[in-house]
Amino acid sequence: MFRTISIVAFAVTVGCLALNCITSPCKECWRHPLRKMVHLFTLLFIEQKLSLMGVLRKLVYLLALLCFVVLAVTGFYPTIILGEHISGYLMMVHATFSPIFAICLAVLAVMWASRCRFAYSDWPWFQRIVQRVTLVRSGEEESHCESSGLGQKMTFWLIIFLALPLILSIILSMFTLFGTYWQELLLDIHRYTALVFALVGIVHIYLVIRTQIQQYKAN
Amino acid sequence: MKRGLLLIVFLCLPVLCQYAPTFCFANEAVGTETENKLLGDESDGSRAPSIHLIPLFFENEDGEKGGKISPDDDPLLPFSTRWTCGECHSYGIISKGWHFNAADPNVAPGRPGQPWILADGRTGTQIPLSYRSWPGTFKPEQVGLTAREFTRYFSRHTPGGAAGELETEDPDEIMREYISGKLEINCLSCHNAEFAHNQGEYFPQVVRENFRWAAAATCEFASVSGSARDMPETYDPFMPEPPEDAKKVPPGVKYDENIFDHENNVSFNIVREVPNHRCYFCHSNMYLDKEDAEKWTSDEDIHLTAGLKCVDCHRNGVDHNITRGYEGEASVSTNPLVTTSSCESCHLGVKDSSSPLAGRLGAPVPEHWGIPPVHFEKLTCTACHSGPWPSEKTILTKTSRAHRLGTLNANKSKEALPHIVAPVFAPESNGKIAPHKLLWPAYWATVEDQNVAPIAFATVTEAIVPVFSDVNRPTSGDWPELTTEHIAKGLKALAKSVKGTPAYISAGKLYKLNDSGTVSEEEHAAANPYLWPISHNVRPAAQSLGVRRCEDCHSTDAPFFFSKAAVDSPIVAARGVKPMVEFVKVRPFYTKAFAFSFVFRPWMKIIALGSSAILAGVLLLYALKMLACIAKVLTERD
Repeated sequence: MFRTISIVAFAVTVGCLALNCITSPCKECWRHPLRKMVHLFTLLFIEQKLSLMGVLRKLVYLLALLCFVVLAVTGFYPTIILGEHISGYLMMVHATFSPIFAICLAVLAVMWASRCRFAYSDWPWFQRIVQRVTLVRSGEEESHCESSGLGQKMTFWLIIFLALPLILSIILSMFTLFGTYWQELLLDIHRYTALVFALVGIVHIYLVIRTQIQQYKAN
Repeated sequence: MKRGLLLIVFLCLPVLCQYAPTFCFANEAVGTETENKLLGDESDGSRAPSIHLIPLFFENEDGEKGGKISPDDDPLLPFSTRWTCGECHSYGIISKGWHFNAADPNVAPGRPGQPWILADGRTGTQIPLSYRSWPGTFKPEQVGLTAREFTRYFSRHTPGGAAGELETEDPDEIMREYISGKLEINCLSCHNAEFAHNQGEYFPQVVRENFRWAAAATCEFASVSGSARDMPETYDPFMPEPPEDAKKVPPGVKYDENIFDHENNVSFNIVREVPNHRCYFCHSNMYLDKEDAEKWTSDEDIHLTAGLKCVDCHRNGVDHNITRGYEGEASVSTNPLVTTSSCESCHLGVKDSSSPLAGRLGAPVPEHWGIPPVHFEKLTCTACHSGPWPSEKTILTKTSRAHRLGTLNANKSKEALPHIVAPVFAPESNGKIAPHKLLWPAYWATVEDQNVAPIAFATVTEAIVPVFSDVNRPTSGDWPELTTEHIAKGLKALAKSVKGTPAYISAGKLYKLNDSGTVSEEEHAAANPYLWPISHNVRPAAQSLGVRRCEDCHSTDAPFFFSKAAVDSPIVAARGVKPMVEFVKVRPFYTKAFAFSFVFRPWMKIIALGSSAILAGVLLLYALKMLACIAKVLTERD
């Protein structure tokens, strides 16, 4: 069941992102693709102009990214590809990287929360979303706004929010607080939260890449 | 015309003779093999015990129902359970039950169980035998034991039947069988609740080949003397004559005359629900975990302590197809209770059952606080709950059947053969890890193209005993201390007696002579240990593995993975230990590394909880800020 849901969810997410690339193409992205790739690669390095906090922030972000990839691969590979529970060395790698990821998320939450807080300028975008979802027209023209920054903010807060049940579900199961029924429930919570978390993470990375390329164009 | 009629009668005579017994004894046959239900085959529903005031019948010289026994009979014959109990209970149906059907090749063997072990220190032999096709055991005939010999060796700890009732095809044994009779199912072994029932008396009777007399010998109102084995082949127990050798006593039975009523009926204290101590006679275990291990120093199974009886879980109907109670038994058993008689079914219930089954017989429903569910996929219930608590090294174990416990002159020494070690954690056929008892086979064999076949025990005895005559044999019944030189001598001696290349199997290795006349050794599948699962004694939940902490099993020195399993052998140089991980069949490095990771688990918990607290704090802070912002925006719009 979880395997099927995971495969479908990943396929739908990747499909949606691909659709987004097609319907809302980033023209700049496809111009000089090699140059863009090199630019993206350089993002992995620490810029000289960064302050100490900036360096720390970037390091933590990159470490979190690495942990995210490792955790996603070790967590979903056995489930999706092998059709079995995580075990063996994958389990050990998963368990080794997870506390590092938790620390990174906590640090990022503190460092990035202020930057990712919703501002007054985000209000029209919220309005537009509400209008589109509820199909209620206010009579005013839909205001144009830049949404990708908001997308990053949204995914950031979702990641922070989902991290809580993701971490707690597995940590609490390690205490002698819950019996088999709740253990299974906690495991399910961990699985499904991890799935949503991974999807949100993928979207977040997609938006970051898109924004970075657009910023490169602007510079 | 008359001549023709006579011819027809003459031609039909053999046919009539063939069926005559059937016609004559049709009435008696009802009590044995037919599908007609007898009085005792089906209960009327009353849970009150049935009173068994019944006549005793003996079996006649034709193997059929004889007359009613009277204390004045001459000769006085032992009662036959087949004909006495068979009056009301279908003996033929009962004989298909688990305790009696081992020798039937059509019966599914089910989960491997405890084998019979032919152990002999003189020849360095300890070999698992079974009529059931359990991988790793040998059929008795493979070691040259006829059913009759097997019965004499091992039926002491059976309720009769099985091999004891097999027809012999050996001409030499036919007359012996006439004298000794067959070892019928001894219903009293289990169902006689009389305190004075002496099951221990079965052993000497079986050894003396007093098969016909064995059941009577165990009951409280009869005593048996003499030995059928000592009698010449011309001896007729139905018309006995004093043997020529006055020292030899013919088998005979005496009944307590007071037990016969005025109609020569006898009252048996028969119970349907078998008392625990009757099961214990054959199913006792003694784990030699302490220097002064005694039965009073260890506890009984928690179920018995809680007031249950063995037969509360191990149930059967008239077919005696008793539930063994292991997971997956339903695939080989027709017992309707088989799905509801395992640990899981009583404690957790049965999935998709129309009515709730958890909690049967007062079974507590376990919560398994803090145990990740993966454990229930990889372990049997018994892995954590049964057998002795694992320690640094496996311990020697004695069992009723292997060590003749409860019989006269049983060797009480700890080191007495066979050497069974426990607990050994190994996967069962379904892949789940369970605690096992383990036996390292040691036997003489022949090797041809990697096929190993044990040599007949009689041949081995004849060839090896003289060769090992100079070897000191401990009085404890332990192995003699052999060297490879002894093995070389033994192999050379056997080479004269057997075809093929003689070999010796022990401690997981195959020893054989190489071209230079010295002994070479190699690992061989035929030398693999035989393991059978431990189901009892079940420990209380508070004494189960993992109850204290994960490190009960997941620490770098946890016995579950890292204890040392004894490698047993009469060859001193081959003795040693094997790490438990080899039996659990897990990667040693991974298991060690995984266990080591538990050192850091408290730190992981602290880090994860600390990170969660920070994340929750940030979320709360900005959620409040967001609320303030929304409130501000809404206020401004108004």
